[in-house]
Amino acid sequence: MTERRTIPNWSTGIGLRSPHLAEIAATRPELGFLEVHAENYMAETAALDRLLELRRDYPVSLHGVALSLGSAEELDRAHLGRFKALIGRIEPVLVSEHLAWSAIGGAYLNDLLPLPYNEESLDIFCSHVEEAQEAIGRRLLIENPSSYLRYRHSCIPEAEFLTEVARRTGCGILCDVNNIYVSARNFGFNPIAYLDALPVEATGEIHLAGHHTAEDVDILIDDHGSRVAQPVWELYAAALRSLGPVPTLIEWDTNLPALEMLLDEARHAQELAHVHRHADIA
Amino acid sequence: MHKSWPMSTDMPTLLELQMQLRRAALGGDTAEIVAAIHGDGLDPAARVGIYRNHAFATLGASLQGTFPVVCRLVDERFFAYAAHEYLREHPPHSRCLVEYGADFADFLTDFEPCAALSYLADVARFEWALNIAATVREVTPLSPVALAAVPAEQAANVALRLQPSLTYLTSPWPIDAIWRANQQSEVSTIDLASGGISLEVRRSGAAVAWRRLDPASFAFRTALADGFVLAAAMAGATLQDPAFDLAAAIQHVFAEGLATAYCLSPEEEAPQ
Repeated sequence: MTERRTIPNWSTGIGLRSPHLAEIAATRPELGFLEVHAENYMAETAALDRLLELRRDYPVSLHGVALSLGSAEELDRAHLGRFKALIGRIEPVLVSEHLAWSAIGGAYLNDLLPLPYNEESLDIFCSHVEEAQEAIGRRLLIENPSSYLRYRHSCIPEAEFLTEVARRTGCGILCDVNNIYVSARNFGFNPIAYLDALPVEATGEIHLAGHHTAEDVDILIDDHGSRVAQPVWELYAAALRSLGPVPTLIEWDTNLPALEMLLDEARHAQELAHVHRHADIA
Repeated sequence: MHKSWPMSTDMPTLLELQMQLRRAALGGDTAEIVAAIHGDGLDPAARVGIYRNHAFATLGASLQGTFPVVCRLVDERFFAYAAHEYLREHPPHSRCLVEYGADFADFLTDFEPCAALSYLADVARFEWALNIAATVREVTPLSPVALAAVPAEQAANVALRLQPSLTYLTSPWPIDAIWRANQQSEVSTIDLASGGISLEVRRSGAAVAWRRLDPASFAFRTALADGFVLAAAMAGATLQDPAFDLAAAIQHVFAEGLATAYCLSPEEEAPQ
């Protein structure tokens, strides 16, 4: 399971949303890679045609949001087949999914819902990751989620759970720094300790995004709807110190701004990555 | 690395937990899932509420994206209410949200609060047809030369497969005019009594296209789309127009690139 194309580990990219497709195609901004949500390109839309053109000029990362690897039921084989077919057409540099579930009993809930972390969910999750990796013939990166609730029957710390998934299945880890920050604030754990618990060699990508505070309760909501918050930039710098440079993506999915603002965020991430790259060399 | 972690004996299975959260996220009972989570300083129900609100907001937004004119006709608040009621009973099966809403028009047909807007469900059917055309690629059209291989005595038994992006729909209301008028900021007056229409909606290259068909052409093409053989399709068209010209109709079907394959079937009954 090797990637056909690779990108340098100091690459920075942006999440590509359809309102920006035309502008990116026309202006071809300098970016290390583009990342798309796989499920947005599984139908035969004009947006898919655009992406198939852009992939000639940009490395593309395919980010699945609906495989529902954490479901207690069997994987949706039809959906997995569509995921595989899209990978064949896009030939992405990275393929990722989530430590979460989103469908049960035939209903797709369009969310990355939290799992309880215990032996049962670990076995189920690992077997689904293995099945998916076998089906697509590629290594998956699995992203740590943001969450707003914890189950009483969770007994494994999340970073430890994710590390064990990587050890058992050979998958990589997509370290979402904003998600660590959001969950750490929501549940009162130390985000640096979480980062330190992740295996350096398995971490293949970093995500950065914005969040906001819920209106009526003291909970941070990971909405990908604003600039990356300052404490998250600081946590990113800590991640670079412990992980070294890792391909980094700016995600922005709601309240979509002008493309220039995303590019500006990506440049900031690039500057930080360069600082640490040179610090590494020195 | 730990080889085992402490387990409690009374824990619900993963499947049970997921069915409990699904029920709560779709607006149903929350008691069981609330009992299974930590408060962490808050009312656990408020934590569950974040996921329920997300499900309704994002799935509702997805429906609004597919049915923008229906939304405009009833206003956003009413649409959100209708979408809420719909997705409680009909959550998506497909994980591609552009494929969500196939039976939204049927739901609206029976949705009592909008019974006064008799054309609303048909506008939804039209928007669903536009959505199909926008998300299904055309396949290579069949050349009419291919039919030369069919023996003359078998010609009446030819069934054509048509483009997968096609939808044929008919309505007693001018739904295409209603749709077009609602693309403007100022909606012009539509004469609802202007009569029924028969529409063909399809993908055309990268774009979506539709046009009105005369009743005989509509009957003919609908019969073909439903898999009837040429003789049966012609019988249905002739009921609409005794002077229906089969040769010209077939020629148009091929010239417009609608046919993608053919097969020979035994005789079938004419469509009703």
